[in-house]
Amino acid sequence: MNKNSSMSVLFKGILKENPVFVLILGTCPTLATTTNVVGAFGMGIAALAVLVCSNILISLLRKIIPDSVRIPCYIVVIAGFVTMVQMIVQAFFPALYEMLGVYLPLITVNCIILGRAEMFAGKNSVGKSALDGIGMGLGFTLALVAMATIREVFGAAAFAGIAIPFLEPYKIEVLVKAPGGMMVYGLLIALVYALTHGKAPMKKSFSCAGCPNAGNCHTAACGAENTDNVHNEAATEKGGAQ
Amino acid sequence: MKKSIVSTLVLVCICAVMAVLLAITNAITAPTIKANEDKAANEALLEVMPNGEGFEKVDLSAYTLPATVTEVFKETKGGYVVKMTTTGYSSGMVIMCGVNPDGTISGTVCLSSSETLGHEKTFGAGFTGKDAASVDAVDTISGATKTTQAYKNAVKDALNTAIILGGGSVDLRDEAQILNDNLSAALPAAEGKFTKLFITEIIEADCFDAVYTADNGAGKVFVTENDGYEGNTCYTAVDKNGNVTKTTYWEEALAAYNILTASTVEIIDLKAYEGLPTALTSAKRTATGNYILTLNAAGYGINGGSEYHPASGQYILVMVSLTKEGKIIDTLTLSQAESTGIGDACADEKFYGQFDGKTAEDYKNIDAISGATITTNGYLKAIERAFECVTILEGGAANE
Repeated sequence: MNKNSSMSVLFKGILKENPVFVLILGTCPTLATTTNVVGAFGMGIAALAVLVCSNILISLLRKIIPDSVRIPCYIVVIAGFVTMVQMIVQAFFPALYEMLGVYLPLITVNCIILGRAEMFAGKNSVGKSALDGIGMGLGFTLALVAMATIREVFGAAAFAGIAIPFLEPYKIEVLVKAPGGMMVYGLLIALVYALTHGKAPMKKSFSCAGCPNAGNCHTAACGAENTDNVHNEAATEKGGAQ
Repeated sequence: MKKSIVSTLVLVCICAVMAVLLAITNAITAPTIKANEDKAANEALLEVMPNGEGFEKVDLSAYTLPATVTEVFKETKGGYVVKMTTTGYSSGMVIMCGVNPDGTISGTVCLSSSETLGHEKTFGAGFTGKDAASVDAVDTISGATKTTQAYKNAVKDALNTAIILGGGSVDLRDEAQILNDNLSAALPAAEGKFTKLFITEIIEADCFDAVYTADNGAGKVFVTENDGYEGNTCYTAVDKNGNVTKTTYWEEALAAYNILTASTVEIIDLKAYEGLPTALTSAKRTATGNYILTLNAAGYGINGGSEYHPASGQYILVMVSLTKEGKIIDTLTLSQAESTGIGDACADEKFYGQFDGKTAEDYKNIDAISGATITTNGYLKAIERAFECVTILEGGAANE
């Protein structure tokens, strides 16, 4: 299958290169906002909107943005869109705004978005970048909702805030706490790994060749462990620092 | 060099474009966000005024309002929502009360508190529909008097606030202030400092409810409550030179003044008498033969104690003046350490004032302190001992 075909770009984010379970990006908002399904869905959609908008704009500007200032440029674009999304959510979905709290403005430093800008939008056409944004955004949303469903149903005996009475006596309260989130996260990563047969990410784990974007990456260095790793690792570290 | 200029320009341009986009978004969303915030702020107000349409914060700087009032919101139709911070059993009880344009209460809630029993959470419901005339009919809760009385006072403050903001005027002074102001008006030379006199002599005329002495010795003020002629309280002042204000009772006041100022006392040596109750701590005799006794009353502090209200281990110290025939002239609680909010009512004149004029036969015909049987019984026992003491001091035998 051609990795660069439109469909492949769109769908790879959902499972094969799922940003949460395969690329292990955006861990902080994943753990923080998956205590209930509504919050997780809202977070996913907000991130999707920012991701699509920033991918399109960054792709449009990819020829103009000089390499030396690309990270500040990306951050300005991303932060701008995040603030817009924040204003829109605050105006039209005040309940969601309350629920997401600080994690909404923190989308700015969500490494999925900077990661996609750096790894994909900065190097691909507008159309593909938009599809990549939609695919990754959907992957993020689905991952969040899946995780939130498990945590809310079994941890709080409810789904999207609607109580499930017969589960009430059996709820595992640790699931809605941070350690429970980690456990569910780990189990889901294992499940996705099994489903994808560990293909994409683990070829040469943690090397540049192990990067799921090695195929998209125009840098000659891909496939060899050399200085180009710094780019990808830098992007990951940005996310890891939040 | 050229490269860095280009980089800078690109970054500046991107920033400018994003700033424009943000400005547009802000222009679109700002009114909605503002409306949402107002709605959220109004939700709490709607709780106490369910029919309210819109609320506007009132600038309070131009008004003199009760000290508890912190914020007031005016409702479109003319009602007010008053937010107050008061002190019940502990400080920081925040109460919000809605007052309709017709002066009735639309609702009352306690927003935050640190009271012990939690009555403040439900007590407000009883005020809905009440107005200034009927608010007193809401009973405080026995055992949580401090909480509920403070709550009730806050509701009255809210009603007064609505009247003041509506252009009316309200007497914001409390009872003690009103009394002091009236006393000062009657005897300006006292400079506003009075102490209630503990009466040790029989005043023949039975027209005075209380006597206050100026702390600086300027004279005395005789108070007659519910004056039959004027229907309100009459203050008759006699200054230190014997000049009396010409009220209805001026002759009686002058006579009483002379009796009280002529009164002298001698201390009685308790060892000279046998069989005096140990509760008696001191005794004095006036030149006219009356007795002034101080006794320890064993109330809740000695005979009580529970998990929630530990006993203090202290007696109630009671001072009683009696005639030699055994009729109580005056009673005063000098000190007490009974349960806060319950037994400490024994230090209230409403309680000990009931003994005035009582004898050994009828001293038990008083209203007990609600919820404080042990305190009341201890107090009654001390009064009973006072009668015994008089009998012994007069040379008769003790009853027991």
